[in-house]
Amino acid sequence: MKKPIRTAAVAAGVALALALAGCSAGASSSGSGSISPSGKIVPRQISWLLSRPADGGVITVMKQIAADYAAKHPGFSLNLITTPDRPSYIQKYETLAAANKLPELFDTDATPFAQKLAKQGRMIDVAKLLKSYGLYNEYRPAALNYQRFDDGSLYMVPFEFQEEFFWYNKALFQKAGVSVPATLDDFPAMCTALRKAGITPIAIDGQDQWPLERYIAYQPFRVAGPSYVQTLKTGKAKFSDAPGQKAINWLSQLGSAKCFENGFSSVGYSDAQALFTSGKAAVYNIGTWELSSLATDKLDPSVRNDVDYFTLPTDANSATAANEFVSPSGIGMAVSSKTFDPLVRDFLKFALTRYPALIAATGALSPTSNVTTTIPAGATPLYAKAVAQADNLGTKLAMPWDTQLDPTTNTRLQQELTLLVQGNTTPAEFTSTMDDTLAQNAPKFFN
Amino acid sequence: MLPNRSRLSVLVFLVPPLLLYGVAVLLPIIQSLVLSFFSWDGISAMQFVGVQNYVHMLTGDSVFWHSFLNALGYLVICLVLQLGGALVVASLLTSFRRGREVVKTLYLLPAVISTVAIAFLFQRIYSIDPVGLINQILAWLGLGGLERPWLSDIHTVLAAVSIPEGWRFTGLYMLIIYAALLAVPQELEEAARLDGASRWRIFTQIRFPYIRPVWTTTTIVAATYSLRGFDIPYLLTNGGPGQSSELLTTYMYKTAFTSTDYGYASTISVFIVVECLVAVGLILLMLRRKADA
Repeated sequence: MKKPIRTAAVAAGVALALALAGCSAGASSSGSGSISPSGKIVPRQISWLLSRPADGGVITVMKQIAADYAAKHPGFSLNLITTPDRPSYIQKYETLAAANKLPELFDTDATPFAQKLAKQGRMIDVAKLLKSYGLYNEYRPAALNYQRFDDGSLYMVPFEFQEEFFWYNKALFQKAGVSVPATLDDFPAMCTALRKAGITPIAIDGQDQWPLERYIAYQPFRVAGPSYVQTLKTGKAKFSDAPGQKAINWLSQLGSAKCFENGFSSVGYSDAQALFTSGKAAVYNIGTWELSSLATDKLDPSVRNDVDYFTLPTDANSATAANEFVSPSGIGMAVSSKTFDPLVRDFLKFALTRYPALIAATGALSPTSNVTTTIPAGATPLYAKAVAQADNLGTKLAMPWDTQLDPTTNTRLQQELTLLVQGNTTPAEFTSTMDDTLAQNAPKFFN
Repeated sequence: MLPNRSRLSVLVFLVPPLLLYGVAVLLPIIQSLVLSFFSWDGISAMQFVGVQNYVHMLTGDSVFWHSFLNALGYLVICLVLQLGGALVVASLLTSFRRGREVVKTLYLLPAVISTVAIAFLFQRIYSIDPVGLINQILAWLGLGGLERPWLSDIHTVLAAVSIPEGWRFTGLYMLIIYAALLAVPQELEEAARLDGASRWRIFTQIRFPYIRPVWTTTTIVAATYSLRGFDIPYLLTNGGPGQSSELLTTYMYKTAFTSTDYGYASTISVFIVVECLVAVGLILLMLRRKADA
């Protein structure tokens, strides 16, 4: 979900295709799945296949922790293999899973594919693991819940905690004579007014597709709560149901009101952000991982003091509360049961105990609630406001749909959403296409 | 009949590359063919489904047909740019007295630039916000009405992703055709010129028939390369918006590595192999008929 770099995709594709040729069918786990493996701790190199920025807080902190652990256990090292571009990473991880070559630690969202791996006993039960370390209760419930599968089981450790806001430019709102939308239904009117004033209403990274997919999750979350997507993905609910129709018609209206920048589907992550930070676009929907870019005195002085944010609007009939919105704990880390031994167990205990304090010191929100985030020098007051808000979240989570739907339906949804918002398809055509796709593919993953 | 020693020499030289070809090319194709009769997500047991994948691909998958038509459009645009452009430039080069090397180098340059750099370059060229080169030029020319997001417009995106691929290899094919044109006997052209033949007639009656074997090979190489085109469309638009620039190759890649439906992806890959073979057969047939005519 971070800055897109598709560069690795092509090379990886060739390599993965070759690797696939050597894959054996029906790979199975040889791990016992026990969280307390017997034996001595024998230092060696362990690997973590991850999808996080190479210079980001998680990798920096984990490198430091690994160095500390290696000092006490000569011969140990942590090999971090990162592919920040998420689609490329997923392809790499799924191919390695198919070849039964997953390393000791690997990143994954709580996707249907990951659930299959868990059911095959190829991942360690993280709830049990954290409880055995005495750390389970230190985690924010929302951070753990984000990582859970629908049956409540937990197989991934969160390393982040984020909140997603609508950042907006107060001066541009004032220029267009609009105020913060009270409900989601107010968005089209807001866009029309901003367009009339010559302002791009909303900056969006359309190239990576997940930012637009966030928008289809919003109306159903407010209308029906988190249950709609949970039943939709299994095929028990349909896009033609009321919450789905509300979302589809709303997105069509956003398109008609020209809410997003011209040619948004080919605009990348940094260009979209630049539209907002340069004062050209009025709204930008992004998470707190961008706090250091949006709530800092390094921001363009002409924009800096005009930046504020609002959370996902509600209305009188909302099924979810104002303090419930998208608050992900990022991609989680799974532990391979095949290679889980006393060393991996001991290192994880060492790492997860020290990690919260160190990550909080970098200015990031910890997935645990036992530490206080350090507000970095040069941060604007907005930074502290966003950090404080993380302690007052509700219990219901707005899950990003790209982590929920089966991959084929998800890919088609992302494609069709662009066409819907661009006005190339009608809501009725969109609904029909998506219901057909869902009916064809959901049973493969959820039956 | 070769003497024994020569036969051994031929075997020694031919068998290793044939083995390598078999392992690197034929084996994966056979593996794909086998896998195309299965349903397999990579982590569960493989399920034999017979020809179900083929039936679904040919009768129930609208994205497949959309991608197939896009691939044909992509092929036509690439061939026109690569072969047409190469022929024009190579013909002009033969009449240059100075600066040939500079022109050749300039035209060949895109072939050595990395694909990713080309994708980024064209992303900027096509952009509307911030305004890119094409839209800027249109504005300067007073053709502001034609400005558009070239990669987001479903009517222009296929051409927009095909052009960089065509542009990229024009220089390479130009070099091949230029080399062939240099081999055309000058005395033939001179004789025709003395007989009053026009430049067009010299080209169609002397030059082109003379380079036809090279032209055939170049067409086959360019066609098969374009049918397997993947990187630039994938990097520029990832097949979008919608399926407007989805090619069979990008669709196959997504089916395998995003949808983890390796069986169905193999079915598409078998189709791509057949499609390439049919294309080569058709090209050979057409050019032979013309040569015989």
